[in-house]
Amino acid sequence: MRNILVIARREFFAYFGSATAYIAIALFLALLGITFFFEVPFLIAKPAFFDARVADLRPLFEWMMFLFAILLPAISMRLLAEERKLGTLELLLTMPVTESEVVLGKLFGAVGFLLVALVLTLGYPLLVSILGHPDVGPLVGGYLGVLLVGTTYLALGLLASSWTSSQVVAFLLAIVISATFTFIDLVPEALGLKAIPAFEVLSFNYHFKSIARGVLDLRDIVFFVSIIIGAVMLTTWSLESRKWKGA
Amino acid sequence: MSTSQISMISVQNLVRDYGPIRALSDVSFLIERGQVVGLLGPNGAGKTTCMKILTGFIAATSGQVLIDGKDIVEHGVEVRKRIGYLPENAPLYQDMRARDYLHFVARLRNIAPEKIKERIEHVAKVIQIESVLNQDIGTLSKGYRQRVGLAQAMIHDPEILILDEPTSGLDPNQIIEIRELIKEVGKDRTVILSTHNLHEVTATCNRILIVHKGRLIADGSPAEIQEQHGGSNTFKISIQGAGESVKDTLKGLEGVTDVVRLENQDQAATDWRLFGAADVDLRADIFNLAVQNDWTLLELHHERQDLETIFQRLTLT
Repeated sequence: MRNILVIARREFFAYFGSATAYIAIALFLALLGITFFFEVPFLIAKPAFFDARVADLRPLFEWMMFLFAILLPAISMRLLAEERKLGTLELLLTMPVTESEVVLGKLFGAVGFLLVALVLTLGYPLLVSILGHPDVGPLVGGYLGVLLVGTTYLALGLLASSWTSSQVVAFLLAIVISATFTFIDLVPEALGLKAIPAFEVLSFNYHFKSIARGVLDLRDIVFFVSIIIGAVMLTTWSLESRKWKGA
Repeated sequence: MSTSQISMISVQNLVRDYGPIRALSDVSFLIERGQVVGLLGPNGAGKTTCMKILTGFIAATSGQVLIDGKDIVEHGVEVRKRIGYLPENAPLYQDMRARDYLHFVARLRNIAPEKIKERIEHVAKVIQIESVLNQDIGTLSKGYRQRVGLAQAMIHDPEILILDEPTSGLDPNQIIEIRELIKEVGKDRTVILSTHNLHEVTATCNRILIVHKGRLIADGSPAEIQEQHGGSNTFKISIQGAGESVKDTLKGLEGVTDVVRLENQDQAATDWRLFGAADVDLRADIFNLAVQNDWTLLELHHERQDLETIFQRLTLT
């Protein structure tokens, strides 16, 4: 556990040692504010906060999820791809650490970034609570939901980052994977077809909506946690495979 | 088997394939405690592959590596605690200060938090990087980056240091400094360094392993390698007053296998190199031949092949 925390700490501070983290968070907060408070005719059918005049926080969390699908691959892309490109992965993996410790350390460091971004969004529910009386259940469920889905995006991004030494390729792969899982339940609807249950079961959007309503169904939590564990295991295996492939 | 009988590093029948290409082919050697060993070979000989296997970064296709009797695959983490490694080009986190980076490595190396500051200061003093400890690694010269790389390899005071091309890309002054450092740190630990530079190994190592095309082709101290692989012995002579037939006359000498005329500036004399069969000393015969033919022998030198010539001969095929 100590090694995981040492690696996580280094990753966390590496984000905030450059302008990347500040730009990403500023952009995220600005886009979130615009999409939540004002009408943006895209993805979410509900009217924006000022049009609806209802203290409903669910659209805020839905927008967070959509924005994270793009923002978090940009955060996870460097985690292993950059190490591979610079050769620092060789030094890291020849220290007395295991591959799974490296993977978990990297993931926890990125989750630290995610937590900072989430804490900075607290201003929005605070503003809503001044203007109205939002329900506490969806607020807690919403944050738990975006934390789960955000960690899932990061775990999938980390997996993509382990496959290549190019950050751009890692970013694009992570976006494709994340977007596919997020919106797969909307595909039949977009094509004018009936909903396909298998697509709903696989969809982040579907499970997230359930949590964001404030209904903590164990199945939804297990769904996200299973994907995170699966991605961590695959990333560990991907790192171990260098021993036979030659990195 | 008692501890004293176990070699520090035991490499047995190591084979490594990259797809259809065999990078290492049946390499075996033992390295004892306190040896400074140079892994010498031309680029692409298999040195880096060998080092990556020794550090556990990649696996061997077949064969075994034991560190102090422990298998590097079965006891990976435990074995890696005892090794300090500097990969080629010292890949370090450019965005970290040297001090923070060494702190990060010290934590991963399980050094007690209260001792980390002391260890960083000690190793910084030995490696002479005290003046750059607070600088970002990305702003350091290549020489200093190499030193920080060496410092991270030594932060936990390892029994074994593995250094891949430690002086590659450095200027001549930096090369001398790093070599001195390696000699200094090699006094009380086992060091393996790889290089394609012969001067590097003769300046720093007491044992040389020459690798070529994935095979270990020579193993021993510089003197032993000269002895084992010296090959044909040659004699350089300078003669005054010899006629046109001198080459044929020299060739006719018993034990001479070939004669080559050498370029020289002196118009009055001609220089020759005679190749003799191994272990035959032709100096007396050459002297007598000169007397018989009324030549003035200005110079007679029995040449032994130096390491550079041996290395070229062994690795040019």
